[in-house]
Amino acid sequence: MSSAAEAHASDGHHDDHGDHHHELPFWKKYIFSTDHKVIGIQYGITALLFLAFGFYLMMVMRWSIAYPHEPLPGWMSWFLSDDWKARWLQDGKVTGETYNMFGAMHGTIMVFLGIVPLGFAAFGNFVTPLQIGAIDMAFPKLNMVSYQLYLLGGLVMIGSFFVESGAAKSGWTNYSPLAGFADSQIVNQFLAGQTQWLLGMVFLISSSLLGAVNFLTTIINLRARGLTWMRLPFFVWAMLVTGFLLLLAFPPLEVAAIMQLMDRTAGSSFFVPSGLYTKTAGLLEASGSGSPLLYQHLFWFLGHPEVYVLLLPAIACVAEIIPTNTRKPLWGYKSMVYAVIVLGFLSFIVWAHHMYLTGMGPVVSNFFQTTTVLISIPSVILLTSMLISLWGGSIRFNQPMLWAAAFIPMFGIGGLTGLPLAFNLVDLHLHDTYYVIGHFHYVVAPGVLFGLFAGIYHWYPKITGRHMSNFLGHLHFWPSLIFMNLLFFPMLVQGMAGFHRRWYNGGDAYLSKASDSVNIFGNTVAEWLWLNPVMSWAAWLLAAAQIPFFINFWASIFIGKKIKNDNPWDATTLEWSTPTPPPHGNFTYDVNVYRGPYEYSREDHEGDFYPQWEAPKRDEPAEEPAKKPVA
Amino acid sequence: MEIPYTFTARKDTGLFNSKIGIWLFLASEVMLFGGLFSGYVFLRLYADYPWPERALPVLPGLINTFVLIGSSVTVVFAWASLKMRQWGRFQFFMGITIFCAVIFMVLKGLEYNAKWHHQAVRLDDFTILEGHTHAAELDEHGHLHIHHKHGAEPTEEEKERQFPANVVVVEAEEIDFTLVRAYKPYVEDILAKAKERGAVPVLVDHAFFYGSPKDLPIDPAERKKLEDQLIKSHEASKEAVRFGDKKDSLYIPKGTHLTADLLDRAKGVYLDGRAINGEVRTEVLRQLWKDARKADKEGLPDFKLAEGIQIDPEEHLTGLVAEAPAALNFKFEKPVALHFKRSLIREGDGSSKLKDDTIIKGAVASSPLGLAVDAVDLRWVAQRAREQDKVPETVIEGLWIMENPEFKEIWERHSAQLAILEAKLKEDGREPTENDKYRIDWQDLVAFHRAHEKHLEPGSPEVPGLRPGMFEGITGPNHKIEENQHAFFSIDIPNEKVGFESLFTPKWNNYYAIYFTLTGLHGLHVVGGALVLCYYLFFSKGLYRRNPEWLANRVEIGGLFWHFVDLVWIFLFPILYLM
Repeated sequence: MSSAAEAHASDGHHDDHGDHHHELPFWKKYIFSTDHKVIGIQYGITALLFLAFGFYLMMVMRWSIAYPHEPLPGWMSWFLSDDWKARWLQDGKVTGETYNMFGAMHGTIMVFLGIVPLGFAAFGNFVTPLQIGAIDMAFPKLNMVSYQLYLLGGLVMIGSFFVESGAAKSGWTNYSPLAGFADSQIVNQFLAGQTQWLLGMVFLISSSLLGAVNFLTTIINLRARGLTWMRLPFFVWAMLVTGFLLLLAFPPLEVAAIMQLMDRTAGSSFFVPSGLYTKTAGLLEASGSGSPLLYQHLFWFLGHPEVYVLLLPAIACVAEIIPTNTRKPLWGYKSMVYAVIVLGFLSFIVWAHHMYLTGMGPVVSNFFQTTTVLISIPSVILLTSMLISLWGGSIRFNQPMLWAAAFIPMFGIGGLTGLPLAFNLVDLHLHDTYYVIGHFHYVVAPGVLFGLFAGIYHWYPKITGRHMSNFLGHLHFWPSLIFMNLLFFPMLVQGMAGFHRRWYNGGDAYLSKASDSVNIFGNTVAEWLWLNPVMSWAAWLLAAAQIPFFINFWASIFIGKKIKNDNPWDATTLEWSTPTPPPHGNFTYDVNVYRGPYEYSREDHEGDFYPQWEAPKRDEPAEEPAKKPVA
Repeated sequence: MEIPYTFTARKDTGLFNSKIGIWLFLASEVMLFGGLFSGYVFLRLYADYPWPERALPVLPGLINTFVLIGSSVTVVFAWASLKMRQWGRFQFFMGITIFCAVIFMVLKGLEYNAKWHHQAVRLDDFTILEGHTHAAELDEHGHLHIHHKHGAEPTEEEKERQFPANVVVVEAEEIDFTLVRAYKPYVEDILAKAKERGAVPVLVDHAFFYGSPKDLPIDPAERKKLEDQLIKSHEASKEAVRFGDKKDSLYIPKGTHLTADLLDRAKGVYLDGRAINGEVRTEVLRQLWKDARKADKEGLPDFKLAEGIQIDPEEHLTGLVAEAPAALNFKFEKPVALHFKRSLIREGDGSSKLKDDTIIKGAVASSPLGLAVDAVDLRWVAQRAREQDKVPETVIEGLWIMENPEFKEIWERHSAQLAILEAKLKEDGREPTENDKYRIDWQDLVAFHRAHEKHLEPGSPEVPGLRPGMFEGITGPNHKIEENQHAFFSIDIPNEKVGFESLFTPKWNNYYAIYFTLTGLHGLHVVGGALVLCYYLFFSKGLYRRNPEWLANRVEIGGLFWHFVDLVWIFLFPILYLM
C-alpha cells in the first residue's frame, strides 16, 4: 500500500502527480469511469432497474395465474405498443407462449442481471477496496470493461423482447433439447430470442469472469499494511469465496452456452438426441446422438454455486451490519470464515440434486443427496453465528438493522424448506411444484434481497453523505415483510398439494380435465386455488411497497439528513475512515491496520468501538501481533 | 494515482498483481476447456454411431504441435532477453513466436477449408459416402444437368450459372408467402431465379388490407361495392394502391408482380389491422368479464365462468377491421424450375416448405446429389446389422450402393485385400479393426484403381495393404491430382435415398462438432494471444525505455498465457487426431 497511500498522506488535496487531478469531464467521471466506487454505483443502479423489470414480468405472470381468462389490466399494459400487444396477447389475455417467455426471462433477469450484479458487483466494487484499505481495484480498466460487458449482455437480453420470435421461452435453465429447437423456425438465428439469450449469457459470463479475477487479485494483493487474513472483515471473506465460485463455476456454463449456440447456428447436435421428433418441426434434421443430460450437468455445475453467489453477498452485508448495530463483536468470526470456505468448496459437488428426476441412478443420487445434506452444516454455522451475535447486544433498530434482523428468519425459512428437497425420495414428489418455487424465493427474495436492502441503507450515508429517511424506510420495510410472506408462504402449501410450477393459467386447464385428482396426502389442488388471487395481490402490493424506497433512494441524495461525521454508525472497518463521499484514491492518510474488524464494547478501551485504523496508545499492550511483518 | 504492485512484487505474497490475475484467469480457462473435454468424453462414450477415428490428417496437426511447442520456448527466450535488457534479442525471439502463431493458424485454416468443401451423405440404409459434389446447372427446360467430368476449368460465365449438385429442384406452380414471416433474402432469391427462367410470379386474387375501421363499410353489400369499385378503377395498373381517408388501407390487384417491397407493404397494413383488432377485442373482453362477475351470484371459479364468455364479432363491427389475409398467394403462368439448397427446403408431395413457412406448390423434379466418392464407410451398416442380430456382410451385399458396378468391383477387391490382412494379423493373434473391415478410404480407392488399370487380380500382393503407413498420404486426398480424380467413382444419389447430408461441418456429427468447437475456441485463444504479443513487439518500445521491468512482467504474463494455449493443444492433438 505504500506508494499511493503515502502520496495521499499529506492532506486530502491529491497532489501526488499533479497532472492527474484536474476535473474529469462528465462522461469520463460517470460513464467510462475506472473508479471502483463509480463502477459500483453504476452496477447498483443498473441492477436495481433490472430488478424492477424482472418484477414487472412476474406481476404479469401473477395476473395470468390469478385471472387466466381476463385481459391484462390497463395499469400493467398501457405502455406496451399496440403491435407488441397484438403479437403477444390474445384479446388482451396472457397466452401460454407469453407466460413462458416472461417466466424464462424473469428468472434470467433476476438472477444474472439483478441480484448477482447488485450483491457481488455493486457492493463488492464499492465496499471491498475501501474495507481492505486499497486505493482502487487491482485492474481499474478491466473493472470498467466488466461493467460494460454486463450492460451489453443485459441490453441484448432486453432487446430480445422486441424481435419477432420474442425473448427466450424455455425456462431460465434453458434446458436442451427444448431450448435447442425453440425458435428454430427463425431463418436468421441471430434474430431469434433463444439465440440472443445465449449471446447475452456469453457477455454476462465474460463480465463475471473479469470481475472475479479483479476482485480476487485485489483482495490478495492490495490489502493495507497490517490487514492480515484474520483481520479481514467477514464481508471481504465472503467476497473472496464468491469470487472463486464465479471464477470456477461460470466457465462450464459458458461451455454449455457455446455448445448450445453451436447447436443453433452451426447445426451441431451436442444436446440433440437421435431421432428427436417435435410437433412443430417434425423429425429434426440433425445428426443426433447428443446428450440432453450433458447440458443439465454443465448448467447445474454453475447453477448450484450460483445460489451461493447470490447468497454470500447478502450474508456479507448482514454480517457487517449486525456487529455495528448490536455494538458487540460478530460471534464466532473464525468459525464463520472457515464455514464460508467449506461452503464454497461443497457448493461445487452438490449440483446434481437438481437432477434427481433425470434417472441418473441411485448411486449418483445418493452421493449428491449426501453432499447436499452436508452443505447445510456450514450454512447453519453462518446463520447461527449471526443469530447468537444478537444475544445480549444493545440493538439499535435503525433501518439497516431492521432489514438485517428480518433477513435471519426469512433466510432461515428458505434454508429449512430446502432440506426436504435434498432427499431424493421427497424430491420426487415435490419436484417442479410451487413448493420448490416457494423455497428458493424465500432464499432469494426475502432472504438475499432483504440483506441487500440492509446493505443499501447501511452504506448509503458513505456514498452520498446523507441518511435515507427513517419514516419512508419503515413504510418500505413493513409492507415488504408482510407481502413477501403472503406471496411466498402459500406457495409452499400449494406446492405440497401438487400445484405445478409451469401452469400458466393458474391450474384451470388442469382442473377442467381432472378437478378431483388428489395427491398422496389426500389434498387436491382445487382446495388451495383460492390462494392464487391472494398471492397475486400480495405481489402487486409488494410492488407498491417499493415506491417509498424509490422516492427515498433518489430524494435523500438531495434532502436527506446530513451525516454527523465520516463514521455515522460508529463502525470499526476501514471504509468509515475515508472522507464522505470517498474521493478518487479513497484514503487521505497512510492506512495501517492494528486489530480485527469487530472491536466493539471492549472493556479496556474508552468508548464502545475501537476502529481498525486507530493507532494504539503508547502505554497500551499490543494485542494479537501480526505473525510476521506485512508489506 | 498509481495502483500499487503493478510491476513490483508484494513482499508477503511474492507476486505482482497481473501475475495473480493471470493465474486466476488460467484457472477459469482450465474449467472452460475442462468442461469441453468432459463434453468430448460424454459424447464419445454415449455415441450411437461409429465414432470417427484417425479421421483427420495427422501431419499438419503434428507440425502444429511442434510449432506451438517451439513458440513456447521462444517466448521464454524473449522474456529472458528483456530481463537481460537486450531489446534486439527480444524482438528476434518475439518475432519468431508470432511467426509460429501465424504458421499454426494458416495450417489450421487449410484444414478447416478442406473440411468445408468436403461432402458427406448418409443414405437411408446408413451407408456413408464421402466426397466432393459435382457442379450442376439447370438447362433452359429446367432439367438438372450434373457435370461429371473433371474437364477444363469452367469459364466465369459457367461458374455463375453452376451450383453444387446438392439441390432440390421444384417445378414451382404457386408460392404462398406468410406476411409476418417471409424472409426477404429468400423472396429475392426466388425472384432472381424466376427471372433467369423468364418467369414472374403474379398475385392469384385481389387482396384488400384494411388498416383502419373507418375505411371498412359495415354492410357486406356496401363493402362489396367499394371493393368492386377499387377493382374496376385500379385493376389494369397491376400496382398496389392505398385507399381510405388517411390512405391507411391497401388494395393489391390480381396479377400484380411479386416484389419484396410489395410483401413489406402488405405486412405493414396487416400488422396495423391486427393491432387494431387486438385493442378492440381486449376492451370487449374486459367489459364482458365485468358483467359476468356482476351477474355471478354463486361465486363460480374462473374456468367455469370463462366457458360462458365469448366475443361475438358481429356485435362490434364498427370497431373491428376485416381479417386481412395472413398469406399472399402467387402463381406462375407455367411451372418454373427453382432449385434450393437441400438443407433449406423440406420437400413434400406437391408442396414443399422453406424455413420461413413459404410454401412452394409443384412437383419435386428428379434432382439427384452428384458425388465423386472418395471414401465409403459401412461401419454404421455393420453396427446396425449386429444390433439386429444379422451378419454385416450379408446386409452389405444387399445395399443400394452394391447396384453400382464400380463399387461392386471395389468391394470385391477390398474383401480380398482384407482377407490378406486378416491372415497376416492372425499370425500375431490379432484381428482387423472395424476401420479395416468396413471403411474404404481414399488411399484404398487409389490403390484399387491402379490395380484395375494394370489388370491385377483382386488380392494381388502388388497392391498396397489396407493400412497405409503413418505418414503415407497423410495430407489427405488431393483432387487436383489427375490419377486420383479417376480413382474416385461418381454416383448420382436420388433424393429419396439421401437420409442426411452435410459438409464436414459441426452438422455432420458430434465428432466434427466438438472438433470445431474445441479447435475453434483454441484458435481464438491463439489469435488473441498473438495479438497481445504483437502489441508487446510493435508498440512497447516506449514502455521499455521508461520501465523495462514492467514490460518484462507483461511479457511474462503473455508468456504464461501462451504456455497455457500450448498445453491445451497438447491435449487436443491426441484426442482429436490420434485416438
